[in-house]
Amino acid sequence: MSNLSDIGNLMHLYLDYIEPGAGTNASDFLISSTAQILNQLGGRNWTPVIVKEVGEDQYQVIGNSFIYAVAEEAGLEKVWCIIADETPETDELVKVLTGEKIPKINLSLATRDEIKSALEYLIQNQGNVLKRVKLPVAVNRIDEAPNRQYWKSLEPITKLKCGITKGKKLNVLKEVFYLTPKPQPKLVNHPPKELSKLTVKELKAMAKEKGLSGYSKKKKSELVELLNGA
Amino acid sequence: MSNTLNPEQGDALKRAWLNLPQDAQQAMINVVFVPELINFLGFDSTERVPEYSTGKGGDKVDYALRHNREEDIFIQTKNNPQILLELKGRNINLQENSPKYKSTVKQLKGYLLARNCRSVQWGIITNSNQIQLFRKHGKVIYPATPCLEINQDNICATLKVIKDKIDQTKKGLTVAIYNNKGGVGKTTTVANLAAALAIKGKKVLIVDFDANQRDLTNLLKAQVGQQTLYDCLASKNQINHSQVIYPHRIKNKQGDKELRFDIIPVDPQLSNMGEDNLRQNFSFRRLGQVLDYFKSNYDYILIDSPPNWRFFSVSAVYAADVVLIPTKHNNLFSLENAAVAIKDYITKTQETKQDGSPIALPIFFNGEKITDAQRRTVHQAIDNLISRYKKEYAFDLSPYFYPHWTRGKRDKSIFEIPNHAVIADAAFGHIPSVYKNKIARDYYMNLAKEYFLQ
Repeated sequence: MSNLSDIGNLMHLYLDYIEPGAGTNASDFLISSTAQILNQLGGRNWTPVIVKEVGEDQYQVIGNSFIYAVAEEAGLEKVWCIIADETPETDELVKVLTGEKIPKINLSLATRDEIKSALEYLIQNQGNVLKRVKLPVAVNRIDEAPNRQYWKSLEPITKLKCGITKGKKLNVLKEVFYLTPKPQPKLVNHPPKELSKLTVKELKAMAKEKGLSGYSKKKKSELVELLNGA
Repeated sequence: MSNTLNPEQGDALKRAWLNLPQDAQQAMINVVFVPELINFLGFDSTERVPEYSTGKGGDKVDYALRHNREEDIFIQTKNNPQILLELKGRNINLQENSPKYKSTVKQLKGYLLARNCRSVQWGIITNSNQIQLFRKHGKVIYPATPCLEINQDNICATLKVIKDKIDQTKKGLTVAIYNNKGGVGKTTTVANLAAALAIKGKKVLIVDFDANQRDLTNLLKAQVGQQTLYDCLASKNQINHSQVIYPHRIKNKQGDKELRFDIIPVDPQLSNMGEDNLRQNFSFRRLGQVLDYFKSNYDYILIDSPPNWRFFSVSAVYAADVVLIPTKHNNLFSLENAAVAIKDYITKTQETKQDGSPIALPIFFNGEKITDAQRRTVHQAIDNLISRYKKEYAFDLSPYFYPHWTRGKRDKSIFEIPNHAVIADAAFGHIPSVYKNKIARDYYMNLAKEYFLQ
């Protein structure tokens, strides 16, 4: 760290130099009662606000915005802050570390244990929405879903019959999962067994891609034959 | 010492060990002793990778070893390691149950379960004064030797023990399903776990060693073969595998794949022997010897055992590498009995067996619905149990009841198999419910993956 940078330092900053950023959603009760306790017990915010420098004597909150709101409510003139750097990576990391943002895991690569803990978390926190979902069933079916690494959206989950339906339930899942789909392998030398696992829609798309004709009215078994012949 | 060993290597190893200063630090041991140790284990200089990346964060284990296969030179491809070696200095005391020992074992387990180490079968920790070998089988890690003391007289013999185990790696993991309390669903667990593992392509053998109940044999309608379990125990001769086992076969819906696991049923002759008679005729070691014949042919050997601590269950636990303990959350006795089994029976078996095994896997709740209030009650009961054992016996039960609990993470979750009508009804169909019902399949697949499959 250079002497000409404040990054990493704990600093006692004027509250009005600091711009609150996104702010907190915490309830007024929590903020005002915490502010009272802060005043009663010495008035020093031992847990610092995390800020980045946006200009000379200008800072912006990137983490612990609850503390900022409390300091404001308590009427502190200055507040203890840690100066972080201004990269977007740090911003993301700070928000995840302070619990202000839910970290996401990559469902394309996630292990069964990771899927399990993510769903457990959701059921604990969004119990109402996922009330009727059976955790062990959902975990196992998502884990074993064929082609999970190719999913471009979470929608195939709704087809697994594990109680997670389109709409609210699926949307909740987006809070913890993201995807980095592998490109679908070239279907040219697909073994027949795997072809029959695909849907009619997918088979037709494949036939189109290959420039075949006369596929539109064919049944699934005929499509598989056609594609295998090609 | 066996004569298959190259005596020069033994001498080199001993010389290197004697050259180590009393207070040798890790770096010194790494330069002086480890190369000879790895040579002795039979891995040449292209078959070892120092500072091997395990794939979990920036974690690096001191050495990974693997024999070369034709084109695949380990030092170049660095894939599919077979052995991990975690090295410490002599300043780190690795005596069993010392704090440093525990943290080192924990560290090794973390490496063994990391992404790049799936293929690993063995883990070694050593500080050159002590050494211990662990076996990794899927997700299960259990000691293959106790923590052994090395001195100048025993160094070659001690390491020969480790080398032999590695050279003769057996495919199978033997699991006893045991709880001193009855009615916790042992037999159901054995049948369905076997079915779930079979679906995953594993070769599974299940042994009905509850001769009085014969539940497993009856449940799956297994027929006693030409050679019986009694014959196996009694005979001194080689056993003809195919004559003892009863294959449980079922075609999948498409009819293109057969799902199969094998059963050694219990025969009436064995059922009718009294405890005294059994003890007079068979050592409690005998079952383990018999199952050793099968261990190279199966991925998993599951033993169903009766709820007591007499001949059959003693033999089953003695034969096992790991013990899986089903409990019921609404049956406090099943939890207390699990604690007794872990602290007394399993510990005593380890002392007799002298190879570090068997170890208890964390308990799970079997087949009952749990309300939030019940969950609080059972956690309270377990908390009391843990603190009582800590106070009265200085024994730490928490890893067996709260496996996810760490110092910073107050996670009291315990694995559960929820109740399901189909599972309970399976007794009438002679087919494990995993094969008949998708939900049951999901439930037991979770069990298999939680404990065994990686």
